[in-house]
Amino acid sequence: MNQKRKVHDLGGALGWGRIPYDPQEEPFHEEWERRVFGMIFQVLPHTAVRPGEFRYALERLAENDYFAPDGYYGRWRSAMEVLLEEYGHFETGELDSRLAVPSGTGAGYRVQSPTAVNEKDLPPDSPTPIPEHRTVRRELDRAPSFQIGDRVVAPGNTAGGHTRLPEYVQGAPGVVVKIHPAEVLPDSTAHGLGERPQHVVSVAYQARDLWGDEAEEKVVINVDLYENYLQLEAEAQ
Amino acid sequence: MTEKHDHTHETNAGSSEIRTAALEDLLVEKGLVDRSRIDSLVERFEHDLGPMIGARLVAKAWLESDFQSRLVSDADEVLRQENIRGGEIEHVEVKVNEPGIHNVVVCTLCSCYPWALLGLPPAWYKSPEYRARVVREPRKVLEEMGLSLEPDTEIRVWDSSSETRFLVLPEQPAGSEDLGMEDLAALVTRDSMIGVAKALSP
Repeated sequence: MNQKRKVHDLGGALGWGRIPYDPQEEPFHEEWERRVFGMIFQVLPHTAVRPGEFRYALERLAENDYFAPDGYYGRWRSAMEVLLEEYGHFETGELDSRLAVPSGTGAGYRVQSPTAVNEKDLPPDSPTPIPEHRTVRRELDRAPSFQIGDRVVAPGNTAGGHTRLPEYVQGAPGVVVKIHPAEVLPDSTAHGLGERPQHVVSVAYQARDLWGDEAEEKVVINVDLYENYLQLEAEAQ
Repeated sequence: MTEKHDHTHETNAGSSEIRTAALEDLLVEKGLVDRSRIDSLVERFEHDLGPMIGARLVAKAWLESDFQSRLVSDADEVLRQENIRGGEIEHVEVKVNEPGIHNVVVCTLCSCYPWALLGLPPAWYKSPEYRARVVREPRKVLEEMGLSLEPDTEIRVWDSSSETRFLVLPEQPAGSEDLGMEDLAALVTRDSMIGVAKALSP
């Protein structure tokens, strides 16, 4: 793995300790978390309306903002601030000046700009009827490229932007175990490059094929992958 | 690979309360947010949605094998028939625990979770610790969380990387055979439907 792990792409990352587990835990701990949750649904229609776009804003946060001590809803607030600035609803640093904190405190100063994805690195778009109700599911008039039982491998995301291909399965052999309904491709929609809907397949990976000798016995990890991520293992280089 | 993270640095701009309140004020001033809609949305998610919805499905599946078969083969159709709607259930798959097979759900890339079946996820589900470790060492993670599985039980981890959402159908606990729907549903915890715990014993 040459490139630095992306901040959000956590599957298999080393160095993390005990799960902060509380069986009785409620969804909100603090009142401000409720406010952030309630705000986001009104902010997104003015900002990140495309599938994957809000997730991509979270993924572009700097590590210290992504892992800030105020947790998930703190991360949501940071991504919301970023989007509000990027879409021009807030001036740069407007919230900082309102708070009379030093300019540069907000996450917007540390966020990565969206990667300029080249359409050549995405699968071709195909005009597909858009359903009446809001959904990412699409009916494709082509058959899935893979069948249950196929041995497949995901070589890696070359487009460099948002993707739903976790790093930990890249290059590993897996087996298609199920075909899900087709969906718009977040690698494209998050960048405003069209829907490019894909069949989605569930791929089963044996733990040993992901983690080598350190793998636990009798463990299978199933990952849902958009079919453009995949090649037949026999045809992969 | 990512290594140790510094969890001790200062949070942004003073307290989260202050920054969130200022953000809300600014959004209201700009006409982007209506405070009463925040209240109503939170109210709905805290009180109308929750694991009781998933628990009723599980209890019914325990009571009626035909229902269980339909739930496993086409959960979307069952949810339509049961009039269960809401966020994050565009496509649902139900994974059945049975002797020798244990299913557990995660979203390593963010925190995808079947809101309309289980409500909003607890913080531990969204934690980097859970997201990083449960795919690499699920048996050890479950053990730490209080669930010891037999060494010959196969663990199937489901990483929610597309818009498919997963619900685990836990094994029906011994001694619950004579219970009715409501009593059974009370045994079905949120965590048993994520797959990090078993259903409660009666």
